[in-house]
Amino acid sequence: MSMQESNNKIAPVQEAGLGKLAVLATAAAVALQSCKKDTDVMYELNEVALYSDASDKTRLKSNEQFVSILFTNLFQSGISSDIVFELNECFLSIGDQEVAREVLISNFFNQSNVQLPTVDEMMADMDLFIENTYRRFFVRMPSEGEKTWVKNFINNNPYMTPELVYFSFALSNEYLYY
Amino acid sequence: MIRRDFIKKSALTTAGALASPYILPSGRLFAPSGNRSADHVVMVMFAGGVRHQESVGMRYLDDSQVGEPYAGNIMNNMLTGEAPTMKIVYGTGEGGLNPIPTILGSSLQSQGTLFSEVQALSSGHFGGYNSLIQGADFAGQGLKQRPVNPTIFEYLRRHGGYKATDTWFIANGIGGSLPLLNYSAHEDYGIQYGGNFFAPLVTFDDQGFEHLGNAKIYHPENELSPMYQLKAFLDSNFTNNDGMLNSLGNTEEEKQSIKAFMKLMYEKIQNGTLTLPPVTDNGDTATVGFTCELLSYFKPAFTVVNLSGVDTCHSNFSGYVKALHRADHAVGFLWDYIQQIPEMAGNTTIICVPECGRNDEPNAILDENNWLAYDHSDLNSLRIWSLMAGPNIPANNIVGSEGNPIGLASDAMMTVADILGVKADVQNAGMVAYGTNSFLDLM
Repeated sequence: MSMQESNNKIAPVQEAGLGKLAVLATAAAVALQSCKKDTDVMYELNEVALYSDASDKTRLKSNEQFVSILFTNLFQSGISSDIVFELNECFLSIGDQEVAREVLISNFFNQSNVQLPTVDEMMADMDLFIENTYRRFFVRMPSEGEKTWVKNFINNNPYMTPELVYFSFALSNEYLYY
Repeated sequence: MIRRDFIKKSALTTAGALASPYILPSGRLFAPSGNRSADHVVMVMFAGGVRHQESVGMRYLDDSQVGEPYAGNIMNNMLTGEAPTMKIVYGTGEGGLNPIPTILGSSLQSQGTLFSEVQALSSGHFGGYNSLIQGADFAGQGLKQRPVNPTIFEYLRRHGGYKATDTWFIANGIGGSLPLLNYSAHEDYGIQYGGNFFAPLVTFDDQGFEHLGNAKIYHPENELSPMYQLKAFLDSNFTNNDGMLNSLGNTEEEKQSIKAFMKLMYEKIQNGTLTLPPVTDNGDTATVGFTCELLSYFKPAFTVVNLSGVDTCHSNFSGYVKALHRADHAVGFLWDYIQQIPEMAGNTTIICVPECGRNDEPNAILDENNWLAYDHSDLNSLRIWSLMAGPNIPANNIVGSEGNPIGLASDAMMTVADILGVKADVQNAGMVAYGTNSFLDLM
């Protein structure tokens, strides 16, 4: 048997072996894919630890940080970077930053989609309202003294609304820090 | 009952009148002892690097463009002199052929005193601004930094007892560190003595209107008062005192006044009733329009307005002469408008002074008329001038001459201090540039 003949005989055997291997490999791949166990993917926000008290806040917010956080607090949604840029320019154009903040906040309150509790909701559970307001704006719980004072103040001022309470918090010195 | 009320109110009024001299915001017991020669001063930082040759020199193209021997005065409101008769491009209309009609019946120069050559302390804008605002040289001053030495706003408020809305800086933009110039980083002065600031072309433009122009109106007693009370309580529980929370010291009344002014400006823009110079086709003229509104509203003791349109000269000489002509137009309108404000008419001094000049030699950039542009960095850019008019300022008076400089850029600040009665305090503070005087002492 010449070498040529020998090769011709062996070749069909090799082809058959390769075909089986290919089938096995494909089957294994399919099996591996199909048998893969589903994993539960869950997206969540990192928990933000509350400040223990106001003294933990030592860094002044930039204008950009202030307007971004304020927008989120009032509208419960993110602000676009274009608006942050424009608002920073507005702040730079006004010397008295307190005035600038006050005007901006009162403009925000003139928008329909600002997220505010109603007066009835505030009055129905004052403790909860105050705690939520402190958490929302100051990222901390109020002390018992603070809670009592704010509660009495709201009860003794018939014109106080959630909007005015939020206004006070947004304008406060503590809100400028983180 | 009525009699009792009357007695009560009279007693309160008398007590207030007796106490008021002792409660100056500066903490001083008495008002400044220096004499005031006017109750109001308006300083125009004119206007972005002005070449001596085309301004006070009145040489138009004759000293800047080879082969263009056309001289003349293109600052017809401020200076006395004949306008060019050829190659006019600085006016209005197609090709700028029509010079803007003069507003003032007689030039500021004829109404007051011209220091025809004054030494600038910096050939750059920010250094120049600082020399005018601080009265100090630029040494040690960073570019994006609050002034190192006290500004005239702080001297006036600390030593003169002026309230915050008595002092204003009106800038034609927020670039070039302009928003940093209303108070210094000096530890003995600083923000609590700072001047109020607006860059009206930003505050009141479309984006300003969109974000700030729809402020909700609250009832001052029923709503704002308790809101501030709650804020005060919250602030009392936050003891961080790193100095960052200090404010300009506008009283609540002043803040309400500023907010009301902003609301008025937005309304006037919407209604098309804003005060503007007859030709308002650049930022400088619009800035002066807002300045007029502010003067009319607050009647401040001291106002700085910054113009900078001529800085286009870095790349466009034709644009430069146009901007120079418009800056003159704006100043003419401003001075004329001041005379229509009853509290300021005849009681206001105006000081116009460039922050720096421009080079003797051009760069290589040609404009549409094939005219060469000029930067500012050489000795010629230290050649500036000063023009003043107002009460007790000699009329038709020229001090110094070309090549014979008298006065420094820093003299402008000392002159304001002199007019508004705090010169001695500024001198005693000892932080002005060497050789600084009041222009009033050099006449």
